[in-house]
Amino acid sequence: MRYLKPSSVSEAADVLESSRGMILAGGTDAYVYMAEGFCHPETLIDISSIDTLRGIYVATDDREEEVIRIGACTTIAEIAASQDLPTCLRQGARAVGSPQIRNLGTIGGNVCNASPCGDTLAPLLCLDARFVLRASGGTRVIACEDFFTGPKKTVLKPNEFLEFIELPASSCGKASAFRMIGNRKGQAISQANASVSLVMVDGRMSDLRVAVGSVAPVPLRLGKLEEFLTGKRVKEVSLAMFKEPILEGIRPIDDVRSSASYRQEVTVALVFDALAECASKDSGECEGAGA
Amino acid sequence: MIRFKCNGKAVQLEAEPEARVIDVLRDGLGLTGTKEGCGRGECGACTILLDGKPVNSCLLLAGKIADREITTIEGIASEDGALHPIQEAFLDKGAVQCGFCTPGMVLSTKALLDENETPELEEIEEALSGNLCRCTGYGKIVEAVREAGQRLMHESDQQGDA
Repeated sequence: MRYLKPSSVSEAADVLESSRGMILAGGTDAYVYMAEGFCHPETLIDISSIDTLRGIYVATDDREEEVIRIGACTTIAEIAASQDLPTCLRQGARAVGSPQIRNLGTIGGNVCNASPCGDTLAPLLCLDARFVLRASGGTRVIACEDFFTGPKKTVLKPNEFLEFIELPASSCGKASAFRMIGNRKGQAISQANASVSLVMVDGRMSDLRVAVGSVAPVPLRLGKLEEFLTGKRVKEVSLAMFKEPILEGIRPIDDVRSSASYRQEVTVALVFDALAECASKDSGECEGAGA
Repeated sequence: MIRFKCNGKAVQLEAEPEARVIDVLRDGLGLTGTKEGCGRGECGACTILLDGKPVNSCLLLAGKIADREITTIEGIASEDGALHPIQEAFLDKGAVQCGFCTPGMVLSTKALLDENETPELEEIEEALSGNLCRCTGYGKIVEAVREAGQRLMHESDQQGDA
């Protein structure tokens, strides 16, 4: 096995193009896959020490809009601790693995591994994140909701890697919250998770996004529920009203971690809980990177 | 050839960059205080500090520690063999039974107390959530972390007075 440590994204893209190796970021998942024999890369391309792939800052995107840009190799611990990111994403990051894993693992790794239970995926989906994908020929941008195609499957081509995650600058003006449930508090993998973002306008819910994870092959937006809730006051809705639009949207399975019926039950409660947290806060909860 | 700093000293040794750091430490440097439990980043027995932060050395490839600083359990006590206040507190509070998880527990504790000498129970539990112990039930470990924090605070107060 060859181990390469390119010093820039263009060098990384060129090496990936010519070697078709495997991109390595924090390595916390990649190492386990290799040790378990799920993959046998001939070349590892370690991008974790490329400076431009680290950090959280304000930038202008390909549409000339202001965004919060997150380098793909920003660690999960840095995401969890950042005051410049919406609450739901920080809460999702805090739910990943253990302190040891969060210090090594990266948000780009969590996204590109595309595990249905990845705890940053539902938050990114409910924040309208866009992903900047890099290849030696240039970059392309894809919406989070179009990125995941199945369990551990994405639209990434063999010669592409994730360079940045971009959030609309307006996402810092929204109230948001993330909830997950696992077997225990530390080191637990989500049996189900949910993330909500919204703006309260005169006490009514607007610009609402509800995303759930671990209950379908990919993280899902719950459009029907969003529609049902938009314009309502939080006091007007009850947990019972949630059930139908949520159960219609999700497709949970029985597996080693949980049963489909349990996942259905708790997803409803997790979404309700996250919504209640959002509604209890005034909008505009983080400073915004660099502000 | 990989160059890094280990327990305060510059180290240079022949190692494959794709070797695991736990193997480099144990087999290359003879630092066998770092233990391998699961080898999959679940149990925390192999915890070391990388630039002061706890990480699983079983998941860390040697190429990633080039030019960085690591601390293992061997770097915690003084060079004259005097135990660190965290190690003393673990002994005094009976927080060690079989001892296999202890190096990792001590290093996670060090990372926590370096930031905050008076952690709340929740903060202690969070800091140790990546370290499994199958003997103690964690109660005595939590007590030891609290005690160590107090001793460290006392120590820095005394140094401040001197």
